[in-house]
Amino acid sequence: MGVQLSVFLENKPGKLETITKILAEAGINIRGISMASEGEFGVLKMLVNDPGKAHQVLKAHHFTVSERNVVVAIIADRPGALHNLLLTLSSQKINIEDCYGIVLEEGGQAAIVLDTEQFPEAEKVLQDNQIWLLSDGELYSL
Amino acid sequence: MYWEKEIETMGRSDLASLQLDRLNHSLEQARRSPFYGKRFAYKAPSHLAGLGDLTTLPFTTKDDLRNAFPYGFLTVDLKEVVRLHSSSGTTGNPTVVFHTAGDIGQWGNLIARCMYTTGVRKHDVFQNMMGYGLFTGGLGFHYGAEKLGVMTIPIGPGNSKRQIWFLQNLETTVVHILPSYALRLYKFFEELAIDPREDLALRIAFVGAEPHSEEIRKKIEDLYNIKVYNSYGLSEMCGPGVAFECECQEGLHIWEDHFYPEIVDPASEEVLPEGEPGELVLTTLTREAMPLVRYRTRDLTRFLPGNCPCGRTHRRIDRITGRSDDMLIINGVNIFPIQIEKTLMAIPEIGHNYLIEIRKENFMDRLQVHVEINEEVFHGTLAELEKLQENAVAALRAELGVTPSVKLVEPSSLPVSEGKAQRVYDYRNEAEAEG
Ligand SMILES: [Zn+2]
Repeated sequence: MGVQLSVFLENKPGKLETITKILAEAGINIRGISMASEGEFGVLKMLVNDPGKAHQVLKAHHFTVSERNVVVAIIADRPGALHNLLLTLSSQKINIEDCYGIVLEEGGQAAIVLDTEQFPEAEKVLQDNQIWLLSDGELYSL
Repeated sequence: MYWEKEIETMGRSDLASLQLDRLNHSLEQARRSPFYGKRFAYKAPSHLAGLGDLTTLPFTTKDDLRNAFPYGFLTVDLKEVVRLHSSSGTTGNPTVVFHTAGDIGQWGNLIARCMYTTGVRKHDVFQNMMGYGLFTGGLGFHYGAEKLGVMTIPIGPGNSKRQIWFLQNLETTVVHILPSYALRLYKFFEELAIDPREDLALRIAFVGAEPHSEEIRKKIEDLYNIKVYNSYGLSEMCGPGVAFECECQEGLHIWEDHFYPEIVDPASEEVLPEGEPGELVLTTLTREAMPLVRYRTRDLTRFLPGNCPCGRTHRRIDRITGRSDDMLIINGVNIFPIQIEKTLMAIPEIGHNYLIEIRKENFMDRLQVHVEINEEVFHGTLAELEKLQENAVAALRAELGVTPSVKLVEPSSLPVSEGKAQRVYDYRNEAEAEG
């Protein structure tokens, strides 16, 4: 599992840049990023190498930040791999709110971040199906 | 626990005869001013037989005060005047109010009565965060607190970190503060990692000068773990000290030994039956330099029914629900900003600050409410924000009878002011730049 940071954002030019600048200046590495938006506002979701520190610096700049646990699953980089992963979850009635990919240095594999309200259930289902999940340690040392 | 037991608990009929006595005296005094001298020259009776006869006299308005600037309402020689206060106005002459030494003394005594009523005593430490100067909030409470014998810190508003330093290091127990500032100040406690509930000696706050909802009072009480008492006044009467909440916190006792209150329908100008909401009209009973007769406060309230358990006999008014000139007419529906505040503050996911905008679009009025989200209850999903937006629209529609749009904004992103918070921006009379 990993800790994802969600940041409430108004959709205004320059908002996203402000966040990436704050994190860069704090020496924080962004591993994965996704934006869910409704038009006037949205939620920016990020995986970073130091979620605690990132939360703190963003809060200090008056951003509204929340942390939540997400599952990070490793899948093979070939057709149908993501489909199979999602099928495994949906067959157990686990609903995914959001998912996005992150970069891995080793070739041949992809990591998918799965954001779900049913976090512990999702984790268990994937473990039972022998899907490789990244641990905190593995994730932050990528 | 009364400052002046005999007066505060006086029987209604004794109080009425005291009022009639003082009223006749006050009318006589008012006649010495150029304005009332002329107005009452022919028609006003020289002596009213009963308090009810007051309704035969015309109202005095803020425009009358402006037009008589500067000395048209002054009844005494300038050498008797020791103080001027003025209320801010953006257009035309300011309203100026004069005080004799006697007026200042009575005013201080009224504030002392208000403070004592809520349990403030000599050993308290009072930090006065209201503006000192032409505004009456600062100096009014300052003199009252000194009269009561409380150590007073005349710090004035703003400079939040210094406020917190004093609150902590002088172990302040009582503050006087704008309700909007009490909410903003809380943010600074968070930044300094000080918990105002645990780390302060604070126990009482007086809030006033801005109409605010019961929900805002509860919020301040909860954030600081204190008792918050509502204060009402206006510079034309003296300033704060006209009406004040007692320990029961159910309405404000209007000090009827100094002011004669009426509630009128702002449109028809008829006196309303006891208990009906309308505009508060006040006649001063003891002011020397500048008595006012049937002054239209433009503040909307009503008399509360029944006796207060505290034993005071002076009638209570409800918290001010708005000003007659604050009323917004949105597509023909009458709306007061306080209704919007009340509705928003009942939604826990919404933060403290909000802003109201009204625009014309295709000949229709469009109401948009900007609300800050409460970061403490943000779980990080878009779905919850969409639901919050829908809920806010539904709650406002139910309260107002019109459908607003609700825009969620980041905490601390709405403009803040050191003085009274401006929360309504009406762009309908401006040239329409947008299509
Ligand atoms: Zn009472």
